[in-house]
Amino acid sequence: MTEALSGDLLTELGRNLVAGSLSDRDLMRQTIGPVERILPEANVVKIGGQSMIDRGRAAVFPILEEVVANLPRHRMIIGTGAGTRARHAYSVALDLGLPTGVMSVLGTFVSMQNARMIHYLLARHGIPFIEPAQFPQLPLFLAERRAAVFFGMPPYTFWQQNPAIGRIPPHRTDTGAYLVSEVFGARSMIYVKDEDGLYTADPKKDRNAKFIPKITVAELKGLDLGDLVVERAVLDLMERAVHQTSIRVINGLVPGNLTRALEGEDVGTLISVD
Amino acid sequence: MYDETANPTDARHHLASMLMRESLIDKEVVAGTDGRATLVRMLPEAHVVKIGGRSIVDRGAAALPAIVSVLGEVLKTHKLILSTGGGVRSRHVFSIGIDLGLPTGVLAQLAIADALGNAHILGALLSPLGVVAIPPEMFGHLLPLFLHSAPGVIFNGDPPYSLWEHPPEIGRIPPHRTDAGSYLVAECFGCASVILVKDVDGLYDADPKTHPDAQLIPKIGVAELRAKNLETLPFDEVLLDLLERSRLVKSFQVINGLHPERLAQALAGEHVGTIVHAD
Repeated sequence: MTEALSGDLLTELGRNLVAGSLSDRDLMRQTIGPVERILPEANVVKIGGQSMIDRGRAAVFPILEEVVANLPRHRMIIGTGAGTRARHAYSVALDLGLPTGVMSVLGTFVSMQNARMIHYLLARHGIPFIEPAQFPQLPLFLAERRAAVFFGMPPYTFWQQNPAIGRIPPHRTDTGAYLVSEVFGARSMIYVKDEDGLYTADPKKDRNAKFIPKITVAELKGLDLGDLVVERAVLDLMERAVHQTSIRVINGLVPGNLTRALEGEDVGTLISVD
Repeated sequence: MYDETANPTDARHHLASMLMRESLIDKEVVAGTDGRATLVRMLPEAHVVKIGGRSIVDRGAAALPAIVSVLGEVLKTHKLILSTGGGVRSRHVFSIGIDLGLPTGVLAQLAIADALGNAHILGALLSPLGVVAIPPEMFGHLLPLFLHSAPGVIFNGDPPYSLWEHPPEIGRIPPHRTDAGSYLVAECFGCASVILVKDVDGLYDADPKTHPDAQLIPKIGVAELRAKNLETLPFDEVLLDLLERSRLVKSFQVINGLHPERLAQALAGEHVGTIVHAD
């Protein structure tokens, strides 16, 4: 039966993939090649859960005003974090001994609540909320309305991998948003949080924490910080990225920061592969 | 721990919980989540059996009916979560997609259709037993219900990573394929075992299809296997990473489905192929 697909219709790569092993590194090197940017003008903007949305109106209204003000100039795929309710659900799940995959489902629900709230506040501008199954409509919404809202959790649910340490899903909303920006070859990946960017320690816990305006992934990994402003998995994925080799973390509580980041100005922390 | 004095005007609205105000990226916080409670096994009696795509399903009548016949017997006494690979159609769509410059996430999304087709082929043959292919959108959430109602269920082995698939270390092929998706279901649901049904007796020290003198490795740990740096493996390489982080399912067995009786033996706990285990 395998012969059915081994004829002249196949490219050389096709023949090698049909016959070869996908664990063969030589064969995998044959799959390296140019990759199209699917949505090169879109910016992925992730609005933090605990850092922004859990603050309510005081933080959310100004950042959404800034989103709307930027619509004429920029296209935005807006992802949402989860926040304190995810921490509550994770705590209950940990107490009960539920596996990481179930916790991933719980985190998805919370980031979906946040996406719905952000969506309703942007609805008057015709901006939709899309679930993963609706992503094929994303290009139309970006072309017509210039933005769409999605929940940041990657849709791994029960297939979420265990972390090396602990039980909390390692691929959460920072990772999900990052992967959207990578797969679509987006123009930028901007994380909107409540700190000016990356510090040598969590500035909420350590008053002596020093701000880091610009750093490479290798340097950052070398520092081996106890805490980070983005999920560690994002750094691992950046090292393998085809397109999205930098991310920016900004303080969304400061008016104008999102606009500056969208304009490509040096604001917050830029983390890049090299 | 969170220091109130460092940030006396926390304007975030929190819910009281163990993780309240915490950074889920903080190493200490993360380490504190280990071992708080014994992990729940949601489906401890179910076995995950993945039927290879290229190795078994693509062979059609030469391989699949004999396995279906064995499945008919073992389903009388075992609850099975069956999955399938995408086989040569996935290889074909990968080659076209790469030629067109499409990214890994798109290739992962496309490949789901091939494994799902094979799941439906298997489901057509097992339908007299009430064992059918379940749409991926509802499979995970309803799995315990389906398995309570029927002796087995079938899903496309792909994890639902789709556009959210991770870029691989080298090249463009999605790293989390149907072996990985099958293992991850077992790990999450705390299943009894994972059996990967292929067309080789197990893991060899070289590809037995091209090296007739290759030696079978009956049992091996992840670290030792990594150290061998073999050219090819008869399963998704990422399974080694997943085993290293396993909590409930610490091994899987690769067996030769061209000797279908080995499936019944493996389900009975016999060692009939290669067992790869966490260290």
